[in-house]
Amino acid sequence: MRTRRSFNAATLAAMAGTKGFLETAAISAAALETDRVLVLVQLSGGNDGLNTVILHLDPIYHKARPGIGIRGRGVHPISETLALHPEMTEMAAMVKDGALGVFTNVGYPKPNRSHFRSMDIWETASDSDRIEKSGWLGRYLDSHQESTGPLAVRIGNNPALSFAGKSVKAATFASPEMLASRPGIEGAAIASMSRPQLTGNAALDSVQKTASDAINLSRELRRATTDNAPKAEYPPFSLCQSLRLVAQMISAGLSPRAYLVTLGGFDTHAAQANKHAYLLQELSQAIWHFHADLKAGGLLDRVLGLTFSEFGRRVAENKNAGTDHGAASVAFTFGGAAKPGVHGSDPDLANLDDQGDLVFKTDFRSIYAGILSDWFGADPSIASDPGIRPVTVTRGKPR
Amino acid sequence: MAQVFSLLLALAAPPSVNSAPWDEAAARHLLSRACLGGTPEQARAMAAMPLNQAVDRLLAEASEAPAAQRPPWAREVWVNKLRRYSDMPREEYLVTFRRASSRCDREMVDLKTAWMSHMCGGPSPLLENKTLFWHGHFTTATSKLFAASQAQEQQLATWRGHALGNFRQFLAAVTLDPAMMIYLDMEGSERTNPNENYARELLELFSLGVGNYTESDIRGIARALTGYSLDAPRGVPKPDRPTSPSTARSMARDGLVPTFDPASHDDGAKAIFGKTGTFKLDDVLDLVVSHPACGDHIAARLSDHFGAHDPRGELRRRMADIFRKTSGEIKPMVRELFISREFLAPESRGNRVKSPVRLIVGACRDLGIMGGMPASFPSASAILGQDLFNPPTVKGWPQGDEWITATTLSLRQRLGSVIVDGGDLGDAKPLGRVRGTLVPREPAEARKLIDRLLAIDREKAALSDPPSKPIVDKASLGKIAGNDDAREITDRILSRMLVIPPRQATREAIARALETCPAADRPSLAVTLVIASPEYQLE
Repeated sequence: MRTRRSFNAATLAAMAGTKGFLETAAISAAALETDRVLVLVQLSGGNDGLNTVILHLDPIYHKARPGIGIRGRGVHPISETLALHPEMTEMAAMVKDGALGVFTNVGYPKPNRSHFRSMDIWETASDSDRIEKSGWLGRYLDSHQESTGPLAVRIGNNPALSFAGKSVKAATFASPEMLASRPGIEGAAIASMSRPQLTGNAALDSVQKTASDAINLSRELRRATTDNAPKAEYPPFSLCQSLRLVAQMISAGLSPRAYLVTLGGFDTHAAQANKHAYLLQELSQAIWHFHADLKAGGLLDRVLGLTFSEFGRRVAENKNAGTDHGAASVAFTFGGAAKPGVHGSDPDLANLDDQGDLVFKTDFRSIYAGILSDWFGADPSIASDPGIRPVTVTRGKPR
Repeated sequence: MAQVFSLLLALAAPPSVNSAPWDEAAARHLLSRACLGGTPEQARAMAAMPLNQAVDRLLAEASEAPAAQRPPWAREVWVNKLRRYSDMPREEYLVTFRRASSRCDREMVDLKTAWMSHMCGGPSPLLENKTLFWHGHFTTATSKLFAASQAQEQQLATWRGHALGNFRQFLAAVTLDPAMMIYLDMEGSERTNPNENYARELLELFSLGVGNYTESDIRGIARALTGYSLDAPRGVPKPDRPTSPSTARSMARDGLVPTFDPASHDDGAKAIFGKTGTFKLDDVLDLVVSHPACGDHIAARLSDHFGAHDPRGELRRRMADIFRKTSGEIKPMVRELFISREFLAPESRGNRVKSPVRLIVGACRDLGIMGGMPASFPSASAILGQDLFNPPTVKGWPQGDEWITATTLSLRQRLGSVIVDGGDLGDAKPLGRVRGTLVPREPAEARKLIDRLLAIDREKAALSDPPSKPIVDKASLGKIAGNDDAREITDRILSRMLVIPPRQATREAIARALETCPAADRPSLAVTLVIASPEYQLE
């Protein structure tokens, strides 16, 4: 796997003599000129937005949540009315420094309250009542030229639907150690069996491609993790360590344009307070260290981050000191280009939908559309109907 | 008139899938998909019978299989000993808690190992494969069931008992299965606060599929299913020590016996699928199973599991008709599938990625190993993405290409050496540990806590079992390999283990590797490399 820049130069040189060069070059240049990276942080289980970005002065909030509502001095005010959860100390500091965007009331029409259906909707950017098989970034990456390295990486056990496209362009792994090649004769034989020899059997061809990608990737990861010492000391927890590895891969100039990391456990139906607190602490510290690491390495301006979750939670707490599945929630953006501050109005607890859930005001697809057009310089309709206008996510103009 | 015309058209239209002869290759395909793999000798014996007879024989084996032996730790009468009483000192509770959770962890490993061994060498691999199918269809996950080895063991026996039975009866057993009641919150769902979790999955995943019901059907069913909880077995006295109201259900319930309490049931009128009545559990099941979409949904799920080239959905339609005509009999649906031209078509063969359980159990079956799996095999399967009793989502297991990632493929490439040389697949650790607790803000305090957590992790790692021994001996591998010749061994092992022809790259790579290694090591290296090949990942 070569870096994006060297691949670009080499490919263009190689194509210079071939027919149709101008046409191909135009497409590939558009796709390749960017060294920008998108980092998605998936909060799975349905993050309770109302206890993340808190209407701590709103009597309706406290009335709906007499047990788990968060009051008192521990919260971190970010506007006259909103405050971050007490455990989000680091992200609150980022708001002050103009390094974090906060989107309120993010959701979609006709919200679905099933975990995986709603997560599918988020990952495919489909309408609530339409099943879509490709991921929103998978469709964007489909417009890229074939690449020797993966164009996206999911750190975790299962491939991310967000990256699903016409062909496999994403690699998935829970840890670089798991990709280590076999030693000796065995390893050499496996490497030569893995050299793709297409057969027309789609499943076999896809296994072969993954096999050869895995070998390249393993080599590149070894380089990335040995040559690029992190410039921040991350705590030894899963999201922190995942973002640490992402920073190393970005720093080593690896091919992916998009990364997806996951923090699970947000399905807080019972005894929510303590669990939600340590999850938000993990989120806050992970993003803070990632930000500091990239900044120290001079990479911050190449990275845009976005958090997402399948839904928020019901406004009223339940009988088990928890919350059930709801609708609209919050999303955060980070990285050098993220337009800082609070985007969107305060959650309106006086006007809920018929299930007692928040009504969305920002369609998540308008955030995707903003990222595609302003960050990647791509067609925003990849993520959304033309009817959904992109919102401004970044501070700068597209390159 | 129009009907007669379309009937004529249907008769005249050629089938969309051509039939393939029933021969040894077809028998290998059936063994591969239905029986989790098998040897060429088994395929030859099967192909010597007519197709109908071969399939009926498999189904008879499944029906006649004696009930699997229950593990020694499973109880006939189970009383919850993991309790947190209000007056219990914290220390006492912590000791009980730790003891119970490590006992259950051990029991779960035992249960998984026994099941995988049973898949491999039990009387009916088909029955185990069907049970595995239902285990992925009617999901429950240990991650949400604390210390529930007993409930999971009971569930496995129930699923196996109904695997080829009647869907309506199965669904009744599923609805009041203790593990299911805990997993999807049927337990304690009551009139004043009906829980919709089970009702939603009942329709979406278990019986009808998306698009065949409305949110208000879910609410109606949730109300009709209120009033059930899990209680102590009849005649067993309950402790008269109260638990505090905030105690988790797993530490407060008395037993695992589903019990109906009329006072917590909502006996009002509900609207379900456009009908209105004071529906109860049995009415709900009748309404669901007689819904026109139910047979289609089950037919589609079955056909996905076993894999059939069915471009126009004709096979699924025939299976769904059988479902409706027989009021939900599963065995004739499966029979129809196995004898169908769609299932036996060349387009259905060797083109699906094996699940991890299929891969591991199949590797053993292909080599003629009859069970006796080490306890490390369930964790090998888990690290490849299939942790039995713990599917990633309520949707069940991934399928096909979804199993293959750069990581899982790299790990799959090591499986052969684990089988042949011993050792464990899962010695690579994931990135970071789950935080699981608030870390103090004060740096020295934070350091102290983090050090303590890491020490616990190291302790756990040190306590884990020594690497497993190989499960196949060199002598029997030598017998399979035949002689010493590198090329001949390569071809013999390839044709024994693959269901598709090898690519030239694979054949050459293996033969060359064997040529460079001592003759005595060739059989085991050949098996290791065939299992690592791209071709072996397919069934």
